[in-house]
Amino acid sequence: MSDLLEQLLHGLTLGSLYAMVATGLALMFGVVRLINFAHGEFYMLGGYAFWYAYAELGLPYPVAGLAAAAAMGVFGLAYERGVIRTILARTWHVQLIATLATSITLTNLAILVFGTQPKEVPTTLSSTIVDLGGVRMAWQRPLVLVAAVIIFAGLEWFVTRAKLGKAMRAMSQNREACAVVGVDVQRVALATFGLSAALAGGAAALVSPLFNIFPDVGALLTLKAFAAVIVGGFGYVKGAIAAAFLIGLAESLAAGYVSYAYKDAIAFVFMVAVLLVRPQGLFGRRIGI
Amino acid sequence: MMRALRFTIATAFLIAVPWIVAATVPGQQRYVLHVLIFTALYGALALSYDLVVGHVGSLSLAHPAFFGIGAYTAALLATEARWPFAAALPAGIAMAGLVALAVGVPMFRLTEHSFAMGTLGFALVAQIVATNWVDFTRGPLCVTGIPKPQLGSLRIATLPGFYWTGLAAVGLVGLLYHGLTTFRLGRAFHAVRDNETLASAASIDPLKYRMLAFVIGGAVAGGVGTLYVSYVGVLCPGELAVSLSVNLLVMLFLGGVGSLRGVLVGSVAFTALPEILRMAPTWRMVIYGLLLLIIVIRAPDGFEGVIRRRSRA
Amino acid sequence: MALLEVRGLTKRFLGITAVDAVDVSIEAGELVSLIGPNGSGKTTLFNCVTGYMAPDTGRVLFHGRDVTGVAAHRIARLGVGRTFQLVSVFPRLSALENLLTFLQQHQEESVLARLVRAPRVRRYEAAAVERARMLLDSVGLGARADAPAGSLSYGQRKLLAFAAALMPDPGLVLLDEPAAAVNPTMINQMKEQILGLHGQGKTVLLVEHNMDVVMDISERVIVLDHGQKIAEGSPEAVRRDPKVIEAYFGR
Repeated sequence: MSDLLEQLLHGLTLGSLYAMVATGLALMFGVVRLINFAHGEFYMLGGYAFWYAYAELGLPYPVAGLAAAAAMGVFGLAYERGVIRTILARTWHVQLIATLATSITLTNLAILVFGTQPKEVPTTLSSTIVDLGGVRMAWQRPLVLVAAVIIFAGLEWFVTRAKLGKAMRAMSQNREACAVVGVDVQRVALATFGLSAALAGGAAALVSPLFNIFPDVGALLTLKAFAAVIVGGFGYVKGAIAAAFLIGLAESLAAGYVSYAYKDAIAFVFMVAVLLVRPQGLFGRRIGI
Repeated sequence: MMRALRFTIATAFLIAVPWIVAATVPGQQRYVLHVLIFTALYGALALSYDLVVGHVGSLSLAHPAFFGIGAYTAALLATEARWPFAAALPAGIAMAGLVALAVGVPMFRLTEHSFAMGTLGFALVAQIVATNWVDFTRGPLCVTGIPKPQLGSLRIATLPGFYWTGLAAVGLVGLLYHGLTTFRLGRAFHAVRDNETLASAASIDPLKYRMLAFVIGGAVAGGVGTLYVSYVGVLCPGELAVSLSVNLLVMLFLGGVGSLRGVLVGSVAFTALPEILRMAPTWRMVIYGLLLLIIVIRAPDGFEGVIRRRSRA
Repeated sequence: MALLEVRGLTKRFLGITAVDAVDVSIEAGELVSLIGPNGSGKTTLFNCVTGYMAPDTGRVLFHGRDVTGVAAHRIARLGVGRTFQLVSVFPRLSALENLLTFLQQHQEESVLARLVRAPRVRRYEAAAVERARMLLDSVGLGARADAPAGSLSYGQRKLLAFAAALMPDPGLVLLDEPAAAVNPTMINQMKEQILGLHGQGKTVLLVEHNMDVVMDISERVIVLDHGQKIAEGSPEAVRRDPKVIEAYFGR
C-alpha cells in the first residue's frame, strides 16, 4: 500500500513538472499559434541556470530558483525577438523545422559547455528522506506539487485580472479583433514567450533537486508536454494541466508496476490512444487559453 | 538527344570513379571511397524522405525508425537466422513498409503539428525499444558481425564493390522517385500537398496518397538501412537517433525540397561538409542546427531555389 | 426522385447550432439559390452536403442514395462539383494542369497501361487536354492556359476554379458565392456561365449574397437564418416574405 502511495506521489511530482512545461507550450500555441519544439530546452537551460546559481554561486535555494526563472524569462524574450518573430508569419513547416533546429543547436551547445555528465543539485529538502506512516519521501516532492498549484492559481489570476494576461487570453480567442482594437500584438507575443520560458525555468528549479540535469532532458520533455497539450485540447491551458497530471501518474504507475525501461513510451501511447478515440482531445476543442 | 548523351557520360563517369580515385589520390583511396559510399546511402535515404516531406507535404519525423527497422531486421536475420543478403534485403524493406503502414493509419488521423509530434514520438519509442529490448536487439551492446552481402558467387566485400552497390541503390531509388513524382501520380501527390481541400473536390483521396508516399518512403528507408548494416557490419540503437531527421531535413532544405537534383545536391553537400569542416560531432550538430535554422528562414528553396532565381533573372 | 435531398440536417460546433434541422429538396435541372444573412449556416450546409463535414443528425441523399458523412473525395467522384468561398486553385500548376487534375481520377486505365503509354491512354490524355482547353476558352482564359494559376488575378482564379469544377462534367454543381469580390463585368460573365450550365441541363445550387444575381437567375430561392430554413419559393415570393425582410433588416 505504501508502495502505491509512493508511486502516486512520484506521479504527482512528474505531473507537476509536465504541467508546468505543458502550460508554457499551451500558452504559446494559444496566443500565437506556434508550437515551440525547443521548449524542453527552456527547461534544460533553466536547470543549468539553477545549478549555476545554487551550486556554483551558493545562493540560497529560493533565490537561486527565482534567479533561474528570471534568467529563462529573459532568454524567452530574446528567443522571441531573435527567432520566433521571423517565423511567425511563415507556414507551420518552417516554424516546426526552425524550432527543431534551435532545439538541436541548444542541446549540443549545452553538451559543449556543460559536458554530458548529469549535474546533481540536491537540496536539504530533496536529500532528506522522511518516513510518514510507511511512505518514504523527500519533502521536495510535496513542495513541487504545492508550488505548481500556487503557480497555476497565479496564472489564472493573471489571465483574468491583469491587463497583460487578459490581453493574452483575448489574443488566443481572436487575434484579428485584438489588433483592430489596439492591443499591442507584438508586445503580448513577447510577454507570452517570456512567461512560458520563466515557467519552464521555475519548474527546473523545483524539480532538478530530484531528477538530475543533463543536456538531452529537453527532447523527451517536449514530447510529453506536447502530448499533454494535444490530449488537453490544443491551446486550452487547463486541459493541458489536467492531461499532464494524468500522464505523470500513468507514467509513474507504469514504471513501478509494468516496466521501468519503457516508462517514457507511456505518454506517447496515451496520446495516440486518446487521439484515436477522441481526436478533439479529452475536453473537446476550446477557443482560448 | 543531348540530354541522353550527357546522362550516359555522367553515368560512365560515376561508374569509373573508383579507378579515377585510385589514379588521382592513391593515398586517400579508402577514405574517399568510404565517404562516397556514405553519400550514396544518404542520398537514397534523403530521396525516400523527400517523397513524404517534399511531394506529399507531410512533415514526418519517423524516418529514422524505418531506417532502423530495416537495419535491425536484416542484421538480426543475417546474424541469428543466417539469412543470405538476397533474402534479408527484401525482408528489411517489407518490415519497414509494414510498420509504416501500421503506424501511418493512426498518424494520418492527426493534423499538422500533431502528426509531426506523433511521428517524433514513434521515432523516440522505436529508439527506446531498440535500446531496452536487450534480449532481442542486444541494446547498447550492438549487433555485431553482420556479414558482407553474398549474391550467389558474387561477394561484395571491397570498397569499390560497396561503392557500386551504393551507386546502384541511389540510381534505383532515383528512378523510383522520378516515376512516382511525375505524371498523374505526381500531380495527385502535389494536389494533396498544395491544397488538400481542393484535392478532395477533385476526387483525390488525400489519405490514400499520403499513405502511399509514407509507406513507400518508409520501405525504401528500410532498404537503405539493410545496405547500411551490410557495409558497416555493426548496428547500435544510436543509429535511430532523432538527429538523423535533422540531418535529412538539412539535406532536403539545403538542396531543394521536392526536387530530385536538389535533394541529391543537398546530400552531397551535407556529407562533404564535415570532411571540409572536420570537427568533433557535437560541434557539427551545432553547425547543422544553425545551418538548418538559417536556411529554412532565409532560403527555404535551397540550392534549387537559387538556381531558379538565377535563371529567371 | 429528387437529385439532391437533405433531410433534417443539423450541425453544431462550439456550442452553436450552425445548421438546425434543415430540409432541402432539389430536382434535376433546377437552378436554386441559397441565401441568408452572414452566419446563417449556408456554407456549413454546403460542407455537410459535399462531405467536408459530417452532420450531427439528418441525412443527405444524392440520386436517392444515402451519402451522409461520406468523405468529400468520394462525393466529388459521384458527380458533384463545387467551388469554395475563398477561391481555391493549385497555385503551382498552370491553368491547364489545374483542370487536368480534376479529371484524372475519372480516367480508369490500369497502371500498366499507363506505364507503357498504350494508344488508348494517349487518346484519353489528348481528349482531356482538348476538353480543358475548351472549358478555359468558354470562361475566357484560353490565352492563359499555360500561366501558373498563382499568377492569375482574383477574378481569373475564380473563373479557373469554376472551369475546373466543371471538368469532370458533374451533374450537380454547388457554387459558393460566385459573384463575391469581383467587378460588375465579371459578375455578368458569371451569370451567363451559370445560366449556361442551367441550359445544359445541369443542376445548380448556389450560395449568394448579391441579390441582383439571385433574383435574376434563380428559379427557386431558399432562405436560411440562424441555421433554420425560414422561407422557400420563387424569387418574387421570397423577396416579399416578411420573415425574410426581418431576417435581413429587422435587427
